[in-house]
Amino acid sequence: MTRFLLRRTGSAVVLVLVLTAVVFVLQAVSPGDPVKAYLGNNASPAAIAAQRQALGLNDPLPVQYFHYIVHALQGNLGMSLRTRRPVMADLHDFLPATVELVAVAFVLALLLGSLYAVSGSLRWPGGAFFRGPLLVLATAPPFLLALGGIILFYAQLQVLPAAGRGVDSTGPSGFVLIDSILGGDATEFVAGVQHLVLPAVILSIAPSISIGRILRSSLDSTLASDYVRTARSKGLRPIVVLGKHVVRNSLGPGLSMAGLQLGFMFAGVVVVEQVFSWPGIGNYLAASIPTSDFPAIAGVTLVLGIIYIVANALVDVLQALADPRLNA
Amino acid sequence: MKNAPLTTKTRGVIAALAVIPLLALAACSSSGGSNTANPAPTDGVLTVGLLGDIGQPPDPDIYYANNGLAIVLNTYEGLVQYQNNVDTVKIAPRLATKWTVNKANTVYTFTLRSGVTFHDGTKFTSEAVKASFDRRNTVKGGAAYMTAGIKSVATPDDLTAVVTLKKANSAFLDYLASPFGPKMESPTGLEKNAGSDNAQTYLQTHDLGTGPYELTSAKTGTKYELTQYDGYWGTKSPFTKVDLPVYSDASALQLAFDSGDVSAIVAALPSSSLTKYDGNDKFNSDFLPTLQSALLTVNPSKEFFANKEARTAFMQSINQKQLVKEVLGARSSVATTLYAKGMIADGSDKQNISYDPTVFAAYAKTLPAGTAMTVGYASDNTNAQAMANIVTANLQNDGIKATAQGYPTSQVFGWASDPTKGPDAFIDGNNGPDGGSPYMWGHVFWDKTGGINYFLCDSPSTDADLNEAVATGDTSLYAKAAQTYSATGCYMNLSYNKDWVVSQKWLTGVAEAHNIGANELDFSKLGIAK
Repeated sequence: MTRFLLRRTGSAVVLVLVLTAVVFVLQAVSPGDPVKAYLGNNASPAAIAAQRQALGLNDPLPVQYFHYIVHALQGNLGMSLRTRRPVMADLHDFLPATVELVAVAFVLALLLGSLYAVSGSLRWPGGAFFRGPLLVLATAPPFLLALGGIILFYAQLQVLPAAGRGVDSTGPSGFVLIDSILGGDATEFVAGVQHLVLPAVILSIAPSISIGRILRSSLDSTLASDYVRTARSKGLRPIVVLGKHVVRNSLGPGLSMAGLQLGFMFAGVVVVEQVFSWPGIGNYLAASIPTSDFPAIAGVTLVLGIIYIVANALVDVLQALADPRLNA
Repeated sequence: MKNAPLTTKTRGVIAALAVIPLLALAACSSSGGSNTANPAPTDGVLTVGLLGDIGQPPDPDIYYANNGLAIVLNTYEGLVQYQNNVDTVKIAPRLATKWTVNKANTVYTFTLRSGVTFHDGTKFTSEAVKASFDRRNTVKGGAAYMTAGIKSVATPDDLTAVVTLKKANSAFLDYLASPFGPKMESPTGLEKNAGSDNAQTYLQTHDLGTGPYELTSAKTGTKYELTQYDGYWGTKSPFTKVDLPVYSDASALQLAFDSGDVSAIVAALPSSSLTKYDGNDKFNSDFLPTLQSALLTVNPSKEFFANKEARTAFMQSINQKQLVKEVLGARSSVATTLYAKGMIADGSDKQNISYDPTVFAAYAKTLPAGTAMTVGYASDNTNAQAMANIVTANLQNDGIKATAQGYPTSQVFGWASDPTKGPDAFIDGNNGPDGGSPYMWGHVFWDKTGGINYFLCDSPSTDADLNEAVATGDTSLYAKAAQTYSATGCYMNLSYNKDWVVSQKWLTGVAEAHNIGANELDFSKLGIAK
């Protein structure tokens, strides 16, 4: 397992380096001028030229990249040209909101996906009434679902809020739910849940179908295997057969898909954060791209890359734990 | 049972099933809900929704963008401002009660308002004028040019400041009245919070101004909060707090407004929303004068418009009335002058481009079949996109293979470094000068060193006339510069744009809280209908 982890860490470092290099090249070839983000669009050419020199943007690209990596290793991701704050400080403020949203959505996706798979494989009566609507909703684009959700639950029914996190987390974790529990603040917790419900549900729908379909397919093939038939013929109850013999042997593909979907959720959270004005890194990234705020874009890319790599490494570990043959 | 893959047809049916209820919901919401107006707040909180974050810190010496002016202009004040609630460019007192200018336009003497205090308790004196101008020059933000020409600031007494310029500049008062102009900042606050960056870090989340409100919370990308300043010298509104929540999506912002959670939206909604709010008894819709315009510029660096004949023929083919009526509606009127409306009082900057599509149609026939050209627009401006679509449709009728293409704003402002990378023509849906002097218009749009002459279409005699005019304030020279530039065929002022403010029925004083240069509201002038 140690060799496995070392190998994964090594490849993760290489991947992150490649990722930052790609972002640097994209910055160099993109036609936008980041100094405009710093000074404002109407700034005079003279002021822009002076600021470009001051920001080191006249240095050759390899030199800029080298400086960036050296500073990044020291925990310094540069200064956002738009907010004029250290990118690390911005990420510190915006990342918890995204992690909280994606974490809740991911748990929901796992639950919904598992329900989808199990209800289908075991042919639960009425299961189609759950799977059908879920499948229908999963085919709609997320922005449309988000707007539909706001119109229904905020504007028409007035039961859920439409925008933001409701409260600003001032606790140690930056997660509203955790900090409100730690602080014993029930009102803040309820407000946090109310604001999370819509964006989290919408973010979870499409991944839940992906996970559910793969898991169901895996469950179906395991249920049809000889050893499951033997277990059944021994008189074991279906739930015991499922729990003891089927689920563990079927988890592999579902876990792989869950890992992939977690990465996609972080990448796809931009749209949901935009519609719900969720103060996360998706919104931060969406505001940074039009202004060519490169340090901010690179910072978010780096964080998303690391999250994606870590998530997939975790999935590999979980798969190895679930199926020791993979570790052989 | 096997998990059979879905057929394309099944997927289509499912997608349709998903979309239909959502569209039905959207249709329900488009009516704006019930027909009764939303109630006024009873907690003294005014909520002004922002569409998108303010983009830069609300530091008056740095901020050079758009909707963040709502914060800057309510927490800080300059020496002068543009007069509220008039549709002409008129300088009005603010922290200076009167002023004199010498004949050479080099010495400006200001008498300052007494009894004014900064939010940190410091008394406002002439010392603050010098400190504020000095900081702007040190910080070197985008609008630092406004104070770069100052030679000295003398402070003979607490309530007199004498500003001497390095060279004559008749536009200096406009620099000071500009929403991006220098604002007065507490000298003691600046010194106390200077840090290593001239208080730039401090002013990201605090303010050091004299305005009717203090910045009490700044959560970038989320929400800004202003609290009424008890020691304000001027009139106070019933709103003790102003919340400025950031909405990333226009539809979500509109839904919050419809529900009454947002009190007002200032110059943020697209023209496509006009039909929903204009004339709706549940809401107020105010169309307020600005210095902004929709502009059409062509790119002489591209082959299509390399010769003047093509440029002037193209300009003549533009149906201004159609564009304004079909796209901009009540929020704009057809521009008839080359500068912003009213900048040249006698109208001698008249735009002499007569609509005659036959000229371009004849020119198009001389071009090879299928000649291509691109009409660009800023991709975040739906009005410009709609206008570009109409223009390209008309060009296609003349046999030109015209396409409309959107460009990110950062790319648009980058064309000046290499105009060959830009489109053949560009429609700017809404742009304007920093202030009301004709120089501030002509210099930025027509001078290739000005910053917004995207395609560097140059006219040296225009630049020379503008430079002479700004020294003397000679209106006839400004008019001459405009006509000379218009003759290049590179430029057309399409429309005079207005700020469209939608607000709840109970909100009063919107027009009185607005001036032609600010594009934002003075919250201290707003009230609640009895």
